[in-house]
Amino acid sequence: MKLTLPGGISLQRLLPFASLIILFVGLSIATPNFLTETNLSSVIRQTAVINIMALGMTMIIIAGGIDLSVGSILAFGGLMGTMALEKGQPIVVGVAVGIVAGMFWGFMNGLLTTRLKINPFIVTLGTLGIVRGITLIVSNGLPVHNIPQSFSYLGEGILGGVPFVLWILLVCAVAVHVLLEHTKLGRYAFAIGSNPDAAYYAGIPVAFHTVSVYAIGGALTGLAGMIEASRLMTGQPTAGQGYELQAIAAVVIGGGSLRGGEGTVVGTLIGAFIMGLLSNGSDLLGISPYLQQAIIGAVIILAVTVDELRKRRA
Amino acid sequence: MLLRLQGIEKRFGGLTALRNGNLTVQSGEVHLLMGENGAGKSTLMKIVAGLLQPDGGTFEWKGKPVSFTRPADASALGIAMVHQESLLAPHLSVAENIFLGREESFWVKRREVVARAAKLIEEHRFPLNAEARVDRLSPAGKQLVEICRAISQGSSLLIFDEPTSSLSDAETAEVFKIVRTLKARGMGVIYITHRLDELRSVGDQVTVLRDGATVHSAPMADLTTDQLIRHMVGRELSALYARQPVEPGKVVLSIEQLSVPPLLKQISLNVRAGEIVGLAGLVGAGRTELCRAIFGVDRCSSGRILLDGKQLRLRSPQDAAAAGIALIPEDRQRTGLATARSIGENTNLASLDKVSRLGVVDHAAAHQVTTDFIARLRIRAESPQQRAGRLSGGNQQKVVIAKWLARGARVFLFDEPTRGIDVGAKAEVFEVMDELARQGAAILMVSSELPELLQIADRILVMRAGVLTGELGRGATQEQVMRLAAFHDAPQESAA
Repeated sequence: MKLTLPGGISLQRLLPFASLIILFVGLSIATPNFLTETNLSSVIRQTAVINIMALGMTMIIIAGGIDLSVGSILAFGGLMGTMALEKGQPIVVGVAVGIVAGMFWGFMNGLLTTRLKINPFIVTLGTLGIVRGITLIVSNGLPVHNIPQSFSYLGEGILGGVPFVLWILLVCAVAVHVLLEHTKLGRYAFAIGSNPDAAYYAGIPVAFHTVSVYAIGGALTGLAGMIEASRLMTGQPTAGQGYELQAIAAVVIGGGSLRGGEGTVVGTLIGAFIMGLLSNGSDLLGISPYLQQAIIGAVIILAVTVDELRKRRA
Repeated sequence: MLLRLQGIEKRFGGLTALRNGNLTVQSGEVHLLMGENGAGKSTLMKIVAGLLQPDGGTFEWKGKPVSFTRPADASALGIAMVHQESLLAPHLSVAENIFLGREESFWVKRREVVARAAKLIEEHRFPLNAEARVDRLSPAGKQLVEICRAISQGSSLLIFDEPTSSLSDAETAEVFKIVRTLKARGMGVIYITHRLDELRSVGDQVTVLRDGATVHSAPMADLTTDQLIRHMVGRELSALYARQPVEPGKVVLSIEQLSVPPLLKQISLNVRAGEIVGLAGLVGAGRTELCRAIFGVDRCSSGRILLDGKQLRLRSPQDAAAAGIALIPEDRQRTGLATARSIGENTNLASLDKVSRLGVVDHAAAHQVTTDFIARLRIRAESPQQRAGRLSGGNQQKVVIAKWLARGARVFLFDEPTRGIDVGAKAEVFEVMDELARQGAAILMVSSELPELLQIADRILVMRAGVLTGELGRGATQEQVMRLAAFHDAPQESAA
């Protein structure tokens, strides 16, 4: 059975979006605390960090790669940025430091995968440990506390009636979308992930573009690290543990394929928000956090199964 | 003069793929490149397209010597190749694939790319949709995309590597039409093929390769099909192995009207106990597919497979193995052996329950089985613990055979059993096959090495494009086999 809407869009394709809407409406009915400004702002703030990381992960996964080290990179970027702030640097400079620090490790991941020709799963499993280790060594395991109060605006501020992070997220999402759909870099990312041999034979500088994609992913993760630090008002060397799996899950729920060549920004945003709503809704409904984990796990498998079935039928 | 290759050599490790490749192609000429499987046609064309680098010889392009290190070097000079397995990005659109790697600026205007592609497609009246995703296309559609790519690059030489082997008749006709158009536009076309009958009307010049060397080059019109066949098969007959045929017993394996989509149609054959039946044909004829179907890998759409007169229901290789059928596959390294594991483990792999008690492997018993087979098949190994991947090709082959003997197989399907094996080991593999036959096994053997097949097989069945085209007994000649394999539909021609 293949349901097709006018305009040739198959219904299965809209399934993630439909699920998000259903989840949203369902929670609005089930609990009066859901549809409040405070709660929705909190969902956006909680999801923003994963969302921004997941945007970078989308590009990496489209290019046929994966980055398991983003949780560690997030902590490293946050730590470097807050250390700059502690030294009295302006906030803009601090955020820039966080982004560049993240970009550096993304660049390293790309370089190691393309130069050593080692599976990115292994490379980033390695850097996951290396970057976390370095972060802990640099900070001596202690969080950075001495940060100007105004830094909290990044993660907690409000602009035009919505959380400031929502604007950051939107800007990043639009930028990544444009990059993926309308630039050489993005189209090459698709080509490389789709068939690396074809990309090579077409004369595409495969290594250069692969490294670029990882570096952009790292930069976005560094930015996410600064947002996380702003929300906690500390540079936590232990921040971001396990975030890599949430970022990957968001991409995959949104239709990204770990075999490369497939994925969209909109899909990833939906994926991240589905997970965010699931966890927020469970909290509001008093479902135990233990069960929450199991639910989210089941949703990942369900989403990918539905997507696979759609592709097989297509 | 477009292209001139002289004395091109190419070696892969110890194996010589090309000894003396010569080829001259003019503009506006369709040049057919012919030869048996493994004659070196594809290797020579990969060198022209920059996919491989030659080890010797001269390569001139438009009168100037050139050397390529990357495929992009060749395409920059106007040489393009339509690959047998298409080199396209399946998730991207037709338009994007046509212009992939040649985007001019950082910003990609996808609508413009589609418009340019649509214009190109329109101009040539190709049945293609510029916006379609490539993974939705048929094999022919994918080839059209590659052809569009080549045309859009302004190529002056287009190489087709057996483009029609995966195409239907209508699609083949379409490709020929395109080839004629390209020729009329002054492009040079090299067309690798086995199927001369289809190409008489298109080809201007023909070059025949045999055993890595150019043996003949002439205008198409000057050659009869018979002459061509003689050039193609003139391979030397080295006395590899003289087999004393056994009096065959009753029919063991019998196949009735077997069809397996998309290739195999209405195949019927019998193999008797003690018999070695050869299966000849060119690449893409469906020999490997037939073996896979008998082994339960691919499902048949109609027809029956019988063992000792009883119909088998094969849903997976597991069912086939349980029935006593063994497949010794073409690519040992990938589907025949666990190369990282020991000889012992490989030998017992298919019959672990025979050396296990209550699900626990009795290592002493397994070891005994292994040492028995090492002795019986004369496997040259340091010890039963040696990793299978480190054995020579011939000995690897014997380990695969041992695995199935341990399982008690009676029907053996050998798919190219001597590929990548040196001459000495070949004789040993034949000896093992002979011994299996003497002990009553039924053997079906696929080989592209005609002389070998003629020596070892009791009968030869020839396939072409998914159907059996004939059967030849002992004493058949290479010419007879080649005629059935390549020119079955060819009208008899009088000498020109």
